[in-house]
Amino acid sequence: MKETLETAIGMSRKWEARDAGREVAETAIQKLNRPPDFFLLFSTIHYEKYGGFQEFLNGVWDVLPKGTPLIGGTVPGFMNNYGCFSRGASALAVSSTDMDVAVGVGKNSKRNPFRAAKQCAEMIHNQLKDTPYKNKFLLNFISGPVIPSIPGVGQKKYIRSGFVSKFALQALGLSQKLMQKGLSREDEIFEKTVQQLPDYQMILGTSMDDYKGIKNYQFFNEQLLTNAVVNLGVATDLDLGVHTTHGMKPTDLHFTITKLGAQRHAICKINNKPAVPEFLRLLDWPEGFLTEETMLHTILYYPISLRRQGRDVPVVTPLIMKDSILVPCVIDDGEVSILTVSGQDLIQAVRENLRLFNDIQPEFGLLSTCMTILQTLGHKTNIIQEELHSYFKDKSFLLFYSAGEGTYSKDNDITYANMSFNTAIFGKQETKK
Amino acid sequence: MRDDPIAQVLDDLMRLDDIYACIVARRNMISVMPTDEQFKPEVNQIWDVIKRAMDDVFTVIGEYSGAGLTEIEFRLQNYEVLFYVFPEMENALVAIVPALANKGLLEVELENARRDIFKIMNTPSQTTDTTQKDELYATA
Repeated sequence: MKETLETAIGMSRKWEARDAGREVAETAIQKLNRPPDFFLLFSTIHYEKYGGFQEFLNGVWDVLPKGTPLIGGTVPGFMNNYGCFSRGASALAVSSTDMDVAVGVGKNSKRNPFRAAKQCAEMIHNQLKDTPYKNKFLLNFISGPVIPSIPGVGQKKYIRSGFVSKFALQALGLSQKLMQKGLSREDEIFEKTVQQLPDYQMILGTSMDDYKGIKNYQFFNEQLLTNAVVNLGVATDLDLGVHTTHGMKPTDLHFTITKLGAQRHAICKINNKPAVPEFLRLLDWPEGFLTEETMLHTILYYPISLRRQGRDVPVVTPLIMKDSILVPCVIDDGEVSILTVSGQDLIQAVRENLRLFNDIQPEFGLLSTCMTILQTLGHKTNIIQEELHSYFKDKSFLLFYSAGEGTYSKDNDITYANMSFNTAIFGKQETKK
Repeated sequence: MRDDPIAQVLDDLMRLDDIYACIVARRNMISVMPTDEQFKPEVNQIWDVIKRAMDDVFTVIGEYSGAGLTEIEFRLQNYEVLFYVFPEMENALVAIVPALANKGLLEVELENARRDIFKIMNTPSQTTDTTQKDELYATA
């Protein structure tokens, strides 16, 4: 039997949840000649106020053939063949006669990330262990961070009070366990998933709202979830590759982390001094320069190259608590450096990434990239869409913005980074003449 | 007004929490407003001063839009006013947003709106009758 592969991008800009759900499914499947073998679905948070996400999912299932494997969730924005959007819904539907597909779910990802990761990975393994197809891919999609609301302070990115900061740092672990509010722990989940499924090539993404960190949702078939890991596993004979690039450049500013806190999520001391004043001194920024407002325009451009189990982990600073810098992942102490990045560097990282896939004739692509890129580039993020459009041409691609992303392959191991651009490209490798 | 496709684009923008007001305007004239002609209440108390400042900005837009000026913005008290200039025109899509809004995300939708409105302006059957609108909303 002749191999057939069809892909389609679904899209809706409707406001009412059920209508949007129907439209995103309709616009995808009407372009296919047979039912999709999987359906990846991403939406912005807006439908929460316009009918809710269960209605949104109901709308999708009004149209989508029952039993189609579906995962996805809320994201701050997305781009596809039609443009770049921070409101609406989009889907990637793929149909192939030569592909095995599995979906998995793990719950309570903030309370017990390892159990959630293991449970989710086992579901994929059990469904795909006997597949005849040689290449295996996994999308590891995880509930993103939720900033806990501190009494009397609210949800802030910069906390000035020493007392509140001390309390918040100590309460972080408790908040994650009891209320599942706090960091998303996607780095730990991703590491565990890689341990469970080392033969897969993976792309990591996280679910988020509109950059506020208040709420996020995951979709698993007909179910609407919070604090969950959802996986899509694909086994195929298509050639595929995953890769991470970022535009961050080293500076000559180095420092030594001498004290960590909050289960290795907070840099408390740098060079044996309180972390934030020392960080400001290194950057030659005046005391009091960082505020809730200036953080958006300044610190995002000065990521830190941290270390984790021998790997470089470039991250941006999401939260400052008086003298401590909270980071989104588990890190090791020791010598690290300050990086810098510009809008031009970010776009260059996209070009560099796609150049690595020049020998693949793409059939479709799935991409995750950091929401801080959307925040910093604003509408100039359309330049990235144009780059992708010129690479994929008429082939489907779907990029979703994320709050912690990365890739894994046996060749490159785990790459976890903020401000990064992550690709998974499926196609046919061109044979060298 | 109800069938004005440009007003419908503005209506979509107004449904975003952090868009307090949006219009298509040029110096001394608001050409198109959202369908219900309402802004969010946050803007009312500061509208007069913002309007005066906007008119001054439109002088700059008129001067430099032909030279490739595409965006301009200013901050006034706790608000930012963003101007997305239509290519080679003295008209702009204007939005008022809170100063601490997640502007990157809003910019994406404002750019989509600019493109949609520009397309409508260049489709003869759908073009908003700006002469009529100018009469309706002239504020100078």
